[in-house]
Amino acid sequence: MSAPILQVSQLTKRFGSLVALNNVSLEIRAGEIFSIIGPNGAGKTTLFFNIIGLQKPDSGRVLFNGTDITGKPPHTICDLGITCTFQVPRAFANMTVEEAVRVGAYKRYRGREVQRKVDEVLRICELEEYRHQRCCDMGLAPLRRVELARALATEPTLLLLDEAGAGLNPSELAGLMDILRRLNEEKRITLCIVEHVMQMVMGLAQRIVVLDYGEVIAEGTPQEISTNPRVIEAYLGKGAVC
Amino acid sequence: MRRTREGLNRLLLAALLGVALLLPIAVRTDQYTLVLLTTILLYGVLATAWNVIGGLAGQLDLAAGAYLGLGAFTAGTLLIRLNVSPWLGMVLGGLVAVGFAVLIGYPLFRFGVKEVWYALSSAALVEVLRVTFLIWSQVGGPVERYLPYHEWSFYHLRFATYMPFYYIMLGLLALALLVNHWIRHSKLGYYLMALGENEEAAEVLGVNTQKCKLQALAIYAFLVGVTGSIYACMYGFIHPNFFSGPMSIEVAILGIVGGMGITYGPVMAAILLVSVREFLRANLGGQLEGLYLVVYATVLILIALFRPQGLGPMLRQAYDRLLSRLVKE
Repeated sequence: MSAPILQVSQLTKRFGSLVALNNVSLEIRAGEIFSIIGPNGAGKTTLFFNIIGLQKPDSGRVLFNGTDITGKPPHTICDLGITCTFQVPRAFANMTVEEAVRVGAYKRYRGREVQRKVDEVLRICELEEYRHQRCCDMGLAPLRRVELARALATEPTLLLLDEAGAGLNPSELAGLMDILRRLNEEKRITLCIVEHVMQMVMGLAQRIVVLDYGEVIAEGTPQEISTNPRVIEAYLGKGAVC
Repeated sequence: MRRTREGLNRLLLAALLGVALLLPIAVRTDQYTLVLLTTILLYGVLATAWNVIGGLAGQLDLAAGAYLGLGAFTAGTLLIRLNVSPWLGMVLGGLVAVGFAVLIGYPLFRFGVKEVWYALSSAALVEVLRVTFLIWSQVGGPVERYLPYHEWSFYHLRFATYMPFYYIMLGLLALALLVNHWIRHSKLGYYLMALGENEEAAEVLGVNTQKCKLQALAIYAFLVGVTGSIYACMYGFIHPNFFSGPMSIEVAILGIVGGMGITYGPVMAAILLVSVREFLRANLGGQLEGLYLVVYATVLILIALFRPQGLGPMLRQAYDRLLSRLVKE
């Protein structure tokens, strides 16, 4: 068992009287593909935002490689090696694909090296043909890959993907899963995927945490999770287990 | 094919530069036309500077008048009180504008004031400064303060003709365009475009949005501050009305109409719209007060309706079409 790359301990986030995250603790290990699942409104995206620094938790800690990153701004967290993609693509609409990826590549490179990194990432994400297309003219599937590409260009060691598979057809999904698997195996990037598409979770994840109403209700391998009565209850309601 | 295209590009640039350099010699003694041409360049510089914060970084800044006035008052007051040459004064004017921009920009960006709220805050800034300088009788006050008169003095930046100011402004425009071009192709430029499109996405990709916005604001303020210093010398006086709200809005309009983020767009818009405005003012101004503004506003509305992307992309398309025709034959 490898060392934890990210430790979340007793994270709590409230919006007014709504408790979006209640004492959430979890651990992501270096090199694995980890998944967070849960019904709509379970707090998955909120958890992401609190890890990445887009929101500040009310209490609790986030440790990355042993360093406390709780409440740090996202660009600092990106410097350290965590970045994410968004559930609804936040495209740089008027920039071309190449320009959008360039933004990420400037994180660790200068001069000619920037272009080299951009070319590499575009190849990995199968975006070379879209290179000069503006992001606002693109379909959902390639746009999700652009999100992935510009995130990869910052060379993260931990990449958080928020529903990267949503809205993709089976062949697009298979393509994306291939890319992600390669990233994990060849580039040794630790992946954390938040997902509704079960095919993707079951096909990729090595360990899964289930959130419901802001709390961790189960943790385990895909097999353990798919037979856990509390998980089935959370998804399908009481009485579904029989 | 590529070589000819580049050759034609260069030819056009040389032709434009030639026209710009020779124009004042052609009109020579016609001071009205000289002021008009210089005013067009002035707006060109302001709108090009605005492009950094407004076009690239997407912050709807309405405070051009604030930085213009600060530049004018810094250079003007130094000249009146301490006989400091405006050549030095304009640099100091730019720096004072930068200092002020950072002082205001830091808390604004720190607390995430953006979009319409940023626009309103920056617009308010102009008025706050105008009233402050009206009250501050040691430096401002309600009466114009005239710069020392000289028939012809390089040191004092006073000339019997507007021609030198035309060339100074042309140089400043070249500087503003170069700065724009340089930023557009640098890390800062990409970061500004990204944060202008989506701030959270930019942050996650490692862009320190607060710092980048402040840098953009500082560059813009410096260019506008320097322009303000020259503005004061050109008219020979300083007055709190230099902190002009309408002028600030017009600068933003030119930047937007020119095409957001396009380096040469704002200059094109300035040449076209300021000419139209001044032509209307000269020809309709005497007949019915404000009529020229009605016509001018109608022109703006028509552009907004039919060319929402701005004039820049439209001109580029036309130019590309012309080029491909020329290269083919």
